[in-house]
Amino acid sequence: MTESVVQVQHLRKAFRSHRVLEDVSFEIRRGQTFALLGRNGAGKTTTLRLLLGLLSADEGVIEVLGRDPSKEPLALRRRIGYLAEDQAMYPSMTPLELCRFLEPFYPTWDRHLADDFLDRFELPRHTRIGRLSKGQSVKLGLVVALAHRPELAILDDPALGLDPIARKEFNRDLIEHLQTAGCTVIYSSHLLEEVESVADVVAILDRGCIIRQDSPDALRDSVKQIVMPAAAAAAAPRPASLLDVRRHGDRLAVVVDGAADFLQRLDVEGVEHEVVSLSLDSIFEAFVIGKPRRWPGTDLSAAITT
Amino acid sequence: MFFHIEKGSSVPITRQLAGQIRAQCLSGVLTPGTRLPSVRELARELAVNVNTVFRVYEQLAAEQLIELRHGDGTFVCERVAAAEAARQLESQRQQYTLEFESLIRRGLLLGLTAADLRRKLTEALKEAGRSLEDSTAARENKS
Repeated sequence: MTESVVQVQHLRKAFRSHRVLEDVSFEIRRGQTFALLGRNGAGKTTTLRLLLGLLSADEGVIEVLGRDPSKEPLALRRRIGYLAEDQAMYPSMTPLELCRFLEPFYPTWDRHLADDFLDRFELPRHTRIGRLSKGQSVKLGLVVALAHRPELAILDDPALGLDPIARKEFNRDLIEHLQTAGCTVIYSSHLLEEVESVADVVAILDRGCIIRQDSPDALRDSVKQIVMPAAAAAAAPRPASLLDVRRHGDRLAVVVDGAADFLQRLDVEGVEHEVVSLSLDSIFEAFVIGKPRRWPGTDLSAAITT
Repeated sequence: MFFHIEKGSSVPITRQLAGQIRAQCLSGVLTPGTRLPSVRELARELAVNVNTVFRVYEQLAAEQLIELRHGDGTFVCERVAAAEAARQLESQRQQYTLEFESLIRRGLLLGLTAADLRRKLTEALKEAGRSLEDSTAARENKS
């Protein structure tokens, strides 16, 4: 196994009485592209800021590149590239001035690489940053985050506000300049379609906890929708990890994690059923807003009224 | 070479890509000895994770459809025996027929009429013809 670059255990963080993170644990290995998924307010930005040492955790252990970000934030940030959400850069500077300004802060800043990125991203060198388009600002943020050849790139919702073509271009840049260079990447997003083609691992953050973490393919293999007669479902055992139950007339459509086990049990019980593969969007939806309590038998009134 | 990844589909990206390369190898659109794009090139072109493309190539190599020659590139296998190709193509066509029939049944269940379905088929054929032509033209321009 390759070494782990980020290790987070039982992270907990509250802002006064508002508990943002309840119990967050995950691990990222060298060279992986890790996508943190969650709805607005799920705690994605807080998690990323904790990794950088911009915030300190109330409880839990964080190790980034073998160090504790709350103890050595500056040493660590030299080795990390960070793109903040809606990054505000000095609007009166030009991209070139910004690069020259930031250079002294990073011992490993590579001026040629920065120039190279400005070319490849087709960024105007002498236009004021305030006049750049949203897509150009994100690209400039990426130049600034990557010019010091970081070992780890932390990108907070980089696709936010980009149009579909700019998003695809951004994905290409991420693949070409980060993945093929062996850089470890953690980025947050709520655009699942975009994430699926790019990430090695996705983690779903909801209500302050990582509720599921896996490769997109493994997630799709494990989470299935199963449609069966509602009457027969009452006889079937309740699946161990039930995500959503919907009733359509006399049919019951359930979304189950660990579908293979449940299907086997349905076969044993002789329950007629149909298996539907889900898109990552629907899987995410089932995890985050699914209503598993409507399983017949456990709450009959709810099952009947829907 | 024309591959197309549909985002947000219920078919995983690895299966989409592997299926398309496999079908093109078996049907002869990709002739034996054809060099496939490198993992990086294809990942960049499709905007798909490098490891995903690599896994697809490995899987197809294990099926002996393509060959990873170290330092040289990835090629459509010479050794895909004609009979084996024909057999696989036949079984793929059977599978396709089953899927097609179930798709038609679902359409009827959804209340679409036979005329609706015919019209959709005509449209889809036209669209597919266009993208095939594009890719053939691109191939001819290259060679």
